[in-house]
Amino acid sequence: MTAKSSDAVSLTSATKRFGPVRAVDGLTLAIPRGQTVALLGPNGAGKSTTIALLLGLLPPDSGRAALFGLDPEQAVRQGLVGAMPQEGGLIPRVTVRELLAFVAGTYAAPLPLDRVLALARIGDLRDRRVDRLSGGQAQRVRFAMALCGDPDLIVLDEPTAALDVEARREFWDGMRGLASQGKTILFSTHYLDEADEHADRVVVLGHGQVIADGTSAEIKRAVALTTVSVTADGESAWLATLPGVRHMEIRGGRVHLRSGDPDATVMALARAGAVRGLEVVPAGLEDAFVALTTGKESV
Amino acid sequence: MLGYVRLELTRTMRDGGYVIFGIVMPVVMYLVFTNLGLAPGDRHDAAIYTMVSMAAYGALGGAFNNGSGIAEDRAAGWLRQLRLTPLTPAQVVAGKVVTGVVGVVPSIAAVLLAGVLVNHVTLPPQRWLAVVVLLWAGTVPFSLLGLGNGYRLSGQSAAMANIATMLTLAILGGLWVPVENFPSWLRAIAEWTPSNSYAGLSWRIAFGDVPTLRQAVLLSAWLLVFGVYAVYGYRRAGRRA
Ligand SMILES: Nc1ncnc2c1ncn2[C@@H]1O[C@H](COP(=O)(O)OP(=O)(O)OP(=O)(O)O)[C@@H](O)[C@H]1O
Ligand SMILES: [Mg+2]
Repeated sequence: MTAKSSDAVSLTSATKRFGPVRAVDGLTLAIPRGQTVALLGPNGAGKSTTIALLLGLLPPDSGRAALFGLDPEQAVRQGLVGAMPQEGGLIPRVTVRELLAFVAGTYAAPLPLDRVLALARIGDLRDRRVDRLSGGQAQRVRFAMALCGDPDLIVLDEPTAALDVEARREFWDGMRGLASQGKTILFSTHYLDEADEHADRVVVLGHGQVIADGTSAEIKRAVALTTVSVTADGESAWLATLPGVRHMEIRGGRVHLRSGDPDATVMALARAGAVRGLEVVPAGLEDAFVALTTGKESV
Repeated sequence: MLGYVRLELTRTMRDGGYVIFGIVMPVVMYLVFTNLGLAPGDRHDAAIYTMVSMAAYGALGGAFNNGSGIAEDRAAGWLRQLRLTPLTPAQVVAGKVVTGVVGVVPSIAAVLLAGVLVNHVTLPPQRWLAVVVLLWAGTVPFSLLGLGNGYRLSGQSAAMANIATMLTLAILGGLWVPVENFPSWLRAIAEWTPSNSYAGLSWRIAFGDVPTLRQAVLLSAWLLVFGVYAVYGYRRAGRRA
């Protein structure tokens, strides 16, 4: 994969070690402008470290990070980037309005404050002290800080972690609006349905490396976790040899076939007349994720 | 950067610790000391002498408090958040130094006002001017020392180190009890402290004397030392992100 200078984000063979831990291990990732990308991975996979490298918060031990073809620090200085780290960033003894007005004031062409408050749904909190907010409210203020400068690239580390169901829905409504304006969005999450629904592209990290990269459908397909099941009729061992089948299991009188090519598997079953109680259950991203990150599958 | 200074000053003025230790305490101590006659000379002289001492003491409190704030900011992830705005690191540091320098003004003003309004201190205008300027500008070395601690140490220990340093410098520098009352060995040490040269400049001006060269050189030397220390602390903190 080569990184064009016009890519919003480009990491080239980036490595970051903390003592013996390789938090990011030779990671290469290019995100073209306008894409919404989800960064998935179990705890400790290196998501936050990857984000710190590409924002220029940490220097890579080796490799290179660039945003819009610029040094990350330069891109940040030019107001091209807004980011929300996984935690922290709020200070005591200021109101939400004072804090956001300050952050906006550091950018050359910020969004109007009212617009930011509306996007982050914190209009009613504007005069509250930042240190007297609930966890979810504080999270929305931190999100608002990332939006203040009207940046082209928005990087959010677990943006919905502290949000309730309603707030999460509102959050994604706002993000869709930003994506439709052509913003590039990179977010990490542990909620796989969010990646599935809201990202154009899913990047799965494990041990500091990219272990899968593609649309959510591609990843599910590649991991071959669609299950085709039929009611068992006598001798069934031959089913394991059908096209696409990678794994067979017989449970409670039913044969479960895990298939990498469910269409071919179903056609073969039909030709053999073994379609009693036929059921096709597509894999969720969650299944794919578990398979990938426990190392049973690779893409 | 102006926005940053404004934000930080807003936070400082809402900081109960700053208001109590930087403004209220020095004024109260000033009024108590001058009415107990603990300072040398006649009443008016004592009111002048202690006014300078307590203004210097309050200014020290404000300057070091500002430094402790940096450690809190780092712990809260605020310094990282600032690195994600277009502000440059140099602007952030400069902003914090300016905040420290401006933040001592209320401390100094409160004690000088108490001197004028309560203890009826009168000085010729040019002496007032010189005292105010020297008390104010002389806080820069202490601001830098406080910032150095704030960058180098983590939240709680930075605050402790700054309070301890501030009290040591205040007491040893003769701000609470004049060094003339110290045993001679302690007095010898005291005369090398930055706080003694800092207040000394204004003590001499207030009584119509010219500050000694020694005081000016000593304070400048400390300014250099603390400046280097602050840069060192900042560099170290930067490496830890
Ligand atoms: N400052 C640090 N010092 C030492 N080790 C670190 C540091 N930061 C991260 N690590 C280690 O690097 C690895 C990757 O951490 P990272 O925070 O990037 O993971 P993550 O994918 O964001 O995890 P999570 O989902 O829990 O947020 C982990 O093993 C972690 O312990
Ligand atoms: Mg993380």
